[in-house]
Amino acid sequence: MGASLDLFAAASAEGAWTVSEVTRRARVVIEAGLPPLWVRGEVTGFKAWRSGHWYFSLRDKSAQIRCVMFRTDNRKLPAPPVDGTQVFVFARPTVYDEKGEFNLTVRELLSTEQGGLWKLAFEKAKAALAKDGLLDPARKRRLPAFPLRIAVVTSPDGAALRDIHVVVTRRWPVAELVLVPAKVQGEGAEASVCAALARLAALGVDVAIVGRGGGAAEDLWTFNSERVARAVAAVPVPVISAVGHETDVTLCDLVADLRAPTPSAAAEAATPDRADVLGHLEHLARRLARGLTSRSQRMVDRLDRTGDRLNGAIAARVEQSRSLLTAYGARLDALSPLKVLARGYAVARDAQGRVLRRVAQLPAGREFRLRVTDGEVGARVSSAPGET
Amino acid sequence: MDFAKELDRLEAIVRELEAEDLDLDAALKLFEEGVERLRAAREQLAQAELKVKKALKVEGSDR
Repeated sequence: MGASLDLFAAASAEGAWTVSEVTRRARVVIEAGLPPLWVRGEVTGFKAWRSGHWYFSLRDKSAQIRCVMFRTDNRKLPAPPVDGTQVFVFARPTVYDEKGEFNLTVRELLSTEQGGLWKLAFEKAKAALAKDGLLDPARKRRLPAFPLRIAVVTSPDGAALRDIHVVVTRRWPVAELVLVPAKVQGEGAEASVCAALARLAALGVDVAIVGRGGGAAEDLWTFNSERVARAVAAVPVPVISAVGHETDVTLCDLVADLRAPTPSAAAEAATPDRADVLGHLEHLARRLARGLTSRSQRMVDRLDRTGDRLNGAIAARVEQSRSLLTAYGARLDALSPLKVLARGYAVARDAQGRVLRRVAQLPAGREFRLRVTDGEVGARVSSAPGET
Repeated sequence: MDFAKELDRLEAIVRELEAEDLDLDAALKLFEEGVERLRAAREQLAQAELKVKKALKVEGSDR
């Protein structure tokens, strides 16, 4: 009886812990003993709450752990994981006091689907690029409509260069291709492509194509390097990525201003078709000619109208002058001395032709000339005035 | 020559020439400019063979 009393006393004494104390203590022990770490497992029981927080469990063949990923951490992810996905999480082990539950507070979550650690690296690099705004669609620049210098960053003896050459020759031979040789796969490819990209700024090109022909997916990793992606983003002219893989999108594709499925498609996208451009020029030439013709025709019409008015004005003026002349002519005719002579008057003039009007000019015996209507005769004054 | 700018100017000339209010003198000047630009553009497009240049390895030796 005493023993059981003791037991009871021990259990109920002030030394007993409260639930809160135990969970808090457990949390401290766990957080101190298990610093934040990477955990790999399969997602199960995934649920996104309206608050935006994610709740799920990670499990493997023999165990599972409850996980929570808060909205501030999960909103950086493109999509939530689905149940059954193998993931890596970077998480802090802890104890959730309210439920006395051991769980992981997940800060980062990476899918390991297709490509395992490579994919992991890809996701990490992509997240870093996204964080710096390099994947922002607003960054994408428009390609120049009529490029005169096109840089091609690729292997000098690869299929990509040949394909690009063929397409540009057909569509836009007006341009100049500037080959910037780079090693696109294998050891040192990353550095080689970065160096080639860095040289573009000094080459005075309008647009650049970065690419390689088709190949195995593993060979694409040069173009999945964060360094290469950043070098693409730093090129001052629009860049077309043509990595030659239809299904896998590389980081280089994501950062480039345009992603082309093949080098040929990149060349196609980079150039206008010369025939189209010539057609447009012909169209403009016709409009130019028509514009001037209609303009001159309007001018000619105006001149014609003006000419007609001028002619009309002159004709009227001439007619008016003619009738005036006729009138003046009649009046002049009436005043003509010949008319006066015809009526029987005569004019006396001296030898110099001066008209003799007064008696004083005609002393007796003076010879003078007398003009009558049909001729002139000599005459002499026979007597002084008053003598007759 | 910036081909895009050249084409823009050409289009502007045509539009202006097609507009109503323009005296013959100005129209003729525009027409002459248009013809000259058309000629230059056609000439540029006439280049028949694609030029390929290899940017040399040495930095700064490209131009």
